[in-house]
Amino acid sequence: MIQAVHLPESPEAAAVHSARGGWIMGGGTVVMPLVNSGAAIRNELVSLRRAGLAGIEVRDGVARIGAAAPLSSVKEHPGLGFLRPALRTIASPTIRNLATVGGNLFVAQPYGDLAVCLLALGATCEITGPGGRREAPVADVLASGVAEGEFVTAVVAALPEPGTWYYHKAMRRRLNSASIVTVASVTHTADGVVTSTRTALGGVAPRPVRAVSAERLMRGRPLSPEVLTEAGQAARADTAPFDDAYASAWYRSRVLPVHLRRAFIG
Amino acid sequence: MPSQIVSLVVNGEPREFIARPGTTLLTILRESLGLTAAKRGCAQGSCGTCTVLVDDRPATACLVAVETVADHSVRTLEGVASDGNLDEVQSSFVDNFATQCGFCTAGMIMVAEALLDRDPDPSEEDVIEAISGNVCRCTGYRPIVIAILDAARRRREAGVEPGRPAEEAVSR
Repeated sequence: MIQAVHLPESPEAAAVHSARGGWIMGGGTVVMPLVNSGAAIRNELVSLRRAGLAGIEVRDGVARIGAAAPLSSVKEHPGLGFLRPALRTIASPTIRNLATVGGNLFVAQPYGDLAVCLLALGATCEITGPGGRREAPVADVLASGVAEGEFVTAVVAALPEPGTWYYHKAMRRRLNSASIVTVASVTHTADGVVTSTRTALGGVAPRPVRAVSAERLMRGRPLSPEVLTEAGQAARADTAPFDDAYASAWYRSRVLPVHLRRAFIG
Repeated sequence: MPSQIVSLVVNGEPREFIARPGTTLLTILRESLGLTAAKRGCAQGSCGTCTVLVDDRPATACLVAVETVADHSVRTLEGVASDGNLDEVQSSFVDNFATQCGFCTAGMIMVAEALLDRDPDPSEEDVIEAISGNVCRCTGYRPIVIAILDAARRRREAGVEPGRPAEEAVSR
């Protein structure tokens, strides 16, 4: 039974409630189903809706996105057009009006496709907590969360250069479906040869993961079907696939190379 | 924290009610305000049958703790018809046999209202995406898509001005 819903008007005020054990809530798309079913793990909620964390700034090639920005705001922002196809694969427009960027970092796979994108972008999280503010790579937050009483207030990422952004999501339906395999990547090429790549996978492990084995195989080689097939098979080493209602672990692992290839060359 | 008085602007009218902490907007609409068009389906945000407009944007009322939208505007199916006359979306649903059992209808109409307020001439693909969060278990999606496109045409022909664009997202 929920005893209180706090609506702090600043991140500092939210930190006070969070430090006292309040459960941070963005849009409520993860927390409220648990409240509705009586499975909430805390009895006080801290909504970030009025904490001034919904702004999005894109300036000098860098995006700073407030943790409480709804996914629909990210999708509609003129400076973030490269993310629009990815946002379109996440839930429905109705849920995107509620679900937030910060919340997306903490949902269990096979959800959290924006987090996969942020991992590929090498984003940084701004975090507020009892000890004040700090920054951490999104990879660290995805791998090990934040400390007790802390919460993410914003994510910061450099925009990818034109022609370097790749995204592909395999799902059961064309719209509003969870991930079977999600691939997001920032990959630079020169004369057709990969000079650098940061490639992230969703749907194939409990949390979004970097496909470091695939990255290693791609560097210095062309984005050809042969190289990508090899890289996709190698990427299995970076994954820990699971069974769920959408797909079996076997299936996810089986189709991973195909979708990695499709992310780059269709 | 005890129950508290919360205010909302519902279908243009200021309303006040008493809410226990964490009560959903859906529960308040149905049980405190007697507005039962929004249906209680999955209570997880998956079926869309409780969809209402919060600040002109579709939101699943089952996922909204009502305190978090205090003083915001909420539009429900009850606020769509005026002077007892169905609007273009409602009459198009009737004429195109897009209602079937009716359980999803209120949510479908509210996402259609929001879509047509923002985009008076949506493509079929736009309509399909707009209703992608709303489940119809009569599996009658085709008539619903046709009805929404037909409603858009009716509105354009009647010269209905697009509604106020939803500049502020729900979370503001």
